[in-house]
Amino acid sequence: MTAIEISQLTKTFGTVRAVDGVSFTVEAGTITGFLGPNGAGKTTTLRCLLGLVAADSGTALINGQSYAHLGSPISAVGAVLEATSFHPGRTARNHLRVLCVSAGLPESRADEALEQVGLADAAGQRVGGFSLGMRQRLALAGALVGKPKVYILDEPSNGLDPAGIQWLRGFLRYLAEETGAAVLVSSHVLAEVQQTVDHVVIIAKGKLVHQGRLADLTVNGSTPVRVVAREADRLGPALERAGGKVDPAPAPENAAAESAAGVLTVRGMTPEAIGQVALDERVVLSELVRERSGLEQIFLELTA
Amino acid sequence: MTRLVKAELLKVFTTRMVWGMLALSLGFTLISLAALSILSGQEGVPSITESAGAIALFSSAASGLVFAFIIGTLVMTGEYRFQTITHTFLITPRRERVVAAKLAACAVVGAIFGVAGMLLSAVVAVPAILIKGGSLSVIDGDIARVGVGVIAAMALYTILGLAMGSLLGNQIAAMVVGIGWIYVLENLLVVLLPSVGRWLPGGAAQAVFGVAPPIGGTPYLPAWGGALLLAGYALVFAVVASTTTIRRDIT
Repeated sequence: MTAIEISQLTKTFGTVRAVDGVSFTVEAGTITGFLGPNGAGKTTTLRCLLGLVAADSGTALINGQSYAHLGSPISAVGAVLEATSFHPGRTARNHLRVLCVSAGLPESRADEALEQVGLADAAGQRVGGFSLGMRQRLALAGALVGKPKVYILDEPSNGLDPAGIQWLRGFLRYLAEETGAAVLVSSHVLAEVQQTVDHVVIIAKGKLVHQGRLADLTVNGSTPVRVVAREADRLGPALERAGGKVDPAPAPENAAAESAAGVLTVRGMTPEAIGQVALDERVVLSELVRERSGLEQIFLELTA
Repeated sequence: MTRLVKAELLKVFTTRMVWGMLALSLGFTLISLAALSILSGQEGVPSITESAGAIALFSSAASGLVFAFIIGTLVMTGEYRFQTITHTFLITPRRERVVAAKLAACAVVGAIFGVAGMLLSAVVAVPAILIKGGSLSVIDGDIARVGVGVIAAMALYTILGLAMGSLLGNQIAAMVVGIGWIYVLENLLVVLLPSVGRWLPGGAAQAVFGVAPPIGGTPYLPAWGGALLLAGYALVFAVVASTTTIRRDIT
């Protein structure tokens, strides 16, 4: 089931086109990473989706409805937008009570949500004294009070310590897998969501550059593979005939030694396919390895 | 709608600012009560044992109008400052409902300020009038009108604060403009240009209290005229508050 559907969304602030004809969908029961560098238009897209910013054109629907037309929005969508949106003088429990009362939910949901995010002990403390990590958890608790089936989180790991990030990953997995919710989580760091997400939507300069399964992004062949062979001059053309895109490796500092060994960077082929070509050509390989920063590299290239 | 008003009141009363403002408002009322009681009958000050003086004494309850105004600005600008407006509009995407709830909540908060002021006035004014040898009968015919006027004025100034906060969005700017208006411009106009001043919110409030105009000045509107004018201002401010809030992008 399609939980979120964004179609040809455009928003201009003054002369800056923040979002430019972006379209993508998010399915129930999956976690989708919404990626892009800072200023790519992620936050504006999410805020259009949530009815906080009026789009110039295009549609952004949740469960087939625009946000303003959802009957009880907080029970349909849980949003975590920024960690600073609390009144510092209000206690955590009172913050959530305000949400519950406005939404017509029982006030007991406030304490239940605090329990879920591990803030039960701090319920009576003023938010002004909270660490950034505690604020993120409180923001998440605010998204949970309505028990929605769609979650939209804007950079939720900002300010979390490694333990907090790990906890968040587990929690998002729980939401998607156990409750069947659709989760859209934005980040400007691929590595941060790499272990959590099933799908990725990548935008840059307001435009969509990629949507698909994370697995496809990894094995669609554009992950560069580093190949070292003494007879690189013979292997290179053979790999190109096999459909690979071969670059001599970027000149390293010890250029002389490396070129002697013959370092190639191959795109569009899996290590296995490269090995097969080397075997057919009877070329001895001394190194055959996926570039460790491959995914990050693709991300950088896509968003450059 | 009821639950939205309840939530807005919960927002106000779960911060400490409201108690500070109420304390300041009552403090100003107390100063005014003390000054009018002590200076009673001296040159230029009406005697509190007479009707005009007694009305002025009870009207001290409205001395803290500016603090009601400040609470009103906070109801809106506090949400922008701390970005809680995001939560508010996420829960209630139909923003006109949020504004309506805030207007109602401001009226309630202002009324609470007014009632508290009237209670304090009564506690001080009644013994003061008796000690000066007067009789409470001098205020019999006017006390209800003064009370209603004080409560209405407090409610209106809280709504005025809300409108100013909605218009400017920034807390400091809204407070500076509002305080400048209440303490400087409006006071000057009511005294120096009474023909204009009587039509301003401050002048209308004076008319409802039934306070005598400054000596030689243009008389205030009749009480019902003042009440009508206050209601008209409330309506204009409500429109300002909603149009500015509904259009704003929350980034």
